[in-house]
Amino acid sequence: MVKIRKEVVLEARDVSMTFNQGTEREVNVFRGINFELHAGEILAIIGPSGCGKSTLFNIIAGLLAPTAGAVHVDGEVVDGARGHVGYMLQKDLLLPWRTVMENVTLGLEVRGTDPALAKERAAGLIRSYGLAGFEEAKPSSLSGGMRQRVAFMRTLALDPKVILLDEPFSALDFQTRLVLQGDVKRIIRDRNKSAILVTHDIGEAIAMADRVLVLSHRPSTVKSIYPIDLGVEGDDPIALRRSSKFNEHFDVIWSDLDIQVSATA
Amino acid sequence: MASKARIPIYQTLLIAGILIVWEVLVRTGVAPVYLYGQPSGILQKLIALTASGELFTHAGATAFEAILGFVVGTTLGSVTGLALWLSETVARILRPIIVAINGVPKIALAPLVVVWFGVDIGAKVAIAASLTFIVALISVYQGTQEVDPDLVKLMRSLGARRLTIWRKVIVPGASPWILATMRLNIGFAMIGAVVGEYISAKVGLGYFIYNAGALYDLNSVFVGIFCLMVMALVLDFLLVKVEARFKW
Repeated sequence: MVKIRKEVVLEARDVSMTFNQGTEREVNVFRGINFELHAGEILAIIGPSGCGKSTLFNIIAGLLAPTAGAVHVDGEVVDGARGHVGYMLQKDLLLPWRTVMENVTLGLEVRGTDPALAKERAAGLIRSYGLAGFEEAKPSSLSGGMRQRVAFMRTLALDPKVILLDEPFSALDFQTRLVLQGDVKRIIRDRNKSAILVTHDIGEAIAMADRVLVLSHRPSTVKSIYPIDLGVEGDDPIALRRSSKFNEHFDVIWSDLDIQVSATA
Repeated sequence: MASKARIPIYQTLLIAGILIVWEVLVRTGVAPVYLYGQPSGILQKLIALTASGELFTHAGATAFEAILGFVVGTTLGSVTGLALWLSETVARILRPIIVAINGVPKIALAPLVVVWFGVDIGAKVAIAASLTFIVALISVYQGTQEVDPDLVKLMRSLGARRLTIWRKVIVPGASPWILATMRLNIGFAMIGAVVGEYISAKVGLGYFIYNAGALYDLNSVFVGIFCLMVMALVLDFLLVKVEARFKW
């Protein structure tokens, strides 16, 4: 069999981060992080709290420079925020004074896209992903799930190479969370995007990701990477969770995390 | 529990009760009229001063000074407060100076204002403007600091530059603070105008009240105070109307 090398969209090479270096308050967040994100895949990152997941995202987004190593997107070193990645956080961060439409077009506006074109693209997203009729609504009149959908559309509108999902569903109730997990996964596939998902929820990581990366305690390193294969077609979150392989993956990853917890406890 | 509908009734009764006790105390000679005034006398004065138009001349002058000072001070203060977000260094440099100026009772600046702006209307406007400027500057700058830092981060991740972030997030995000400041500043602008009139003036409610007090004409003093209250209520009412139009 011929092994086909997968296209790499994002690569972290020996990324290390130390805050307050050389002072008494020095904090070594992580050391020599290496991983690749392949085109079209979702990579989930899980780890104990305080392992620097958000810091890693800030580095990938170009908001923070690493102490050592570099992140490459499409072969180019990230050296500042350029809008090369789309960011989605736990908070929807919608601007309350803007309508749904104006929130979706925010990134395009910043980028200087022609307003008519921006509006057209946003309208397409809003129609495709179930918010038709809410274009002129203010965020305060939407439910948490709808708001998070709008935030996701704002991310998609820029057509970023890589989408960073920083615990985007953790503030939602369980049912809404399941529905959105399925939707976001499907949309990322349909649009052939690549994404990194940071989460505390092992189930969410398994249900959404193609591979799960486990970080160790601080100073964090990549502990292991598990390819996920549930043997289930489609994105139905319930069907995925019913798969026997789901539980197998869950146990393996859980124990991997657990060892870390007891080792430092 | 009294129903909500009864509250205005109780309020009316309370005020009427105070007025009646006051009137009785004066009429029976317990309280001398030259020290406390008298409700019926105040009413007569109010009618007489309204009929002669004198009250409108004073009220008009004070309202003009207060509104002009309010507009100038609040606008400049808000714009400066918003602009300070753009440079943290400048904000740090100015911080102790702003705090120091804010701590000075503005009436202490009165001699300076008289020297610089004379004793005419300009001096009153200047005092009202300087009071409202400082209040607007401090609270609007505070407003820019209260904007969710994650919103700023989001904008940066979209590739926005500082000025774009300021225009699209900071200015609209701080706007509730600007509106809140405006309501506070109506009061400060009136203080500024009246204080200015106390110092030196030929017209205005501050002058009218001060003068009447010096003559022990307490009924006139109360008419002036009442007039200031009405003015404050009207201006506040207008601002609430404006505020409602800016609600998200």
